[in-house]
Amino acid sequence: MAALRLLRLLLLLGAGRGAGAGAAAAPPPDAEVTFVLPAGRRECFYQGAPANASLEAEYQVIGGAGLDVDFSLESPSGRLLVSEFRRSDGAHTVEPTEPGDYKLCFDNSFSTISEKLVFFELIFDSAQDEEEEEEEEEGDAWVEAAEPEDALDVKIEDIKESIETMRSRLERSIQMQTLLRAFEARDRNLQESNLGRVNFWSAVNLAVLVVVAFLQVYLLKSLFEDKRTVRT
Amino acid sequence: LALYFHIGEREEKCIIEDVPSDTLVIGNYKVQRWDTHKQEFLESAPGLGMFVTVTTPSADVLLSKLYGPQGTFSFTSYLSGEHIICLQSNSTRFVAFAGSKLRIHLDIRVGEHFFDESVVQAKDKVDEVNLRLEHLIEEIHHISKEQNYEREREEKFRKTSEETNSNILWWAIVQTLILVSIGIWQIKSLRDFFISKKLV
Repeated sequence: MAALRLLRLLLLLGAGRGAGAGAAAAPPPDAEVTFVLPAGRRECFYQGAPANASLEAEYQVIGGAGLDVDFSLESPSGRLLVSEFRRSDGAHTVEPTEPGDYKLCFDNSFSTISEKLVFFELIFDSAQDEEEEEEEEEGDAWVEAAEPEDALDVKIEDIKESIETMRSRLERSIQMQTLLRAFEARDRNLQESNLGRVNFWSAVNLAVLVVVAFLQVYLLKSLFEDKRTVRT
Repeated sequence: LALYFHIGEREEKCIIEDVPSDTLVIGNYKVQRWDTHKQEFLESAPGLGMFVTVTTPSADVLLSKLYGPQGTFSFTSYLSGEHIICLQSNSTRFVAFAGSKLRIHLDIRVGEHFFDESVVQAKDKVDEVNLRLEHLIEEIHHISKEQNYEREREEKFRKTSEETNSNILWWAIVQTLILVSIGIWQIKSLRDFFISKKLV
């Protein structure tokens, strides 16, 4: 008898959780992409989004002369949500999202010779936190009405809740880390190109200096070279 | 619901992943071909495959395989640095079609295996908690490795900055010295020249 009660309770808890999860589809995994955008090209990326979630798009130009790019974000219904020109970084949040495919475009057409190294990150946050909380309360109510032998279930649900909290915090850490990594990569690339430029142009400067000095002396001397005989 | 993008049939698209050493990178992709008659992307294109090439920071090829229209590839980095993952279709058609393009769905995970919610929920409770915990531990390890790698890169960045700083000073000093000595040489050379020409 007690075993049957236990089984029914387990099924109810399981069903409750299942229904909750079905109501709001799991948000798509976060995406981060680093790619080379050739000069004069426009490249677009599409990302499907569920309804009523929040989409955060962050991008950074981490390499290439000028460190800037044009960015645009279109909703699934074709509406232009964001349009930025010649920016080196940006962050935009769309909330709530329409169901469908969002289009992100990076445009490097204004530059004819320099390719850009672009990094972008898409972070999804579903608005299902509230639903989960209600569900846990329901689950707890059922559990309170149950027998002590269901104590194991309570512990497992608690553990799962902690795991879920930890997981979302870790995801946030990973996102922060990725963003900081992009900043650092950009600064490092910039500094490396600085070093190259300092060395190159200083060497060129020195070479021109020496060549001009010799040229001056040579030209001056040649002005006094007589084709006629020297008067004594 | 992964990220997707369009490329031409014979084009190669590369994604750069900067990863620490000993890191597992898993990629999941699906490719669809544009059908000009139906004006939409075909659900499955038989015979269409993708060459996946992974290049390490030292320009070695780590992975170079032909997969079908849908597949999963993975590699473990042994060096830390920028790995380049390139996708190119094996289409042998010449670029005659004006409207032909491919849609590639791509999902790349670094440092952790794909976590399939539906598979996990089907297991019994204790196993489910176990799986979730293992995935968490994987994520934590990955964060820790990334942080160490970040430390390495920041050190390299600092060295480059300091080198630039000292190079600027060094070049300026060298240029000044050479300028001064060339100036002295010029005056001396011209003075000797004029004296020899009996103009002074």
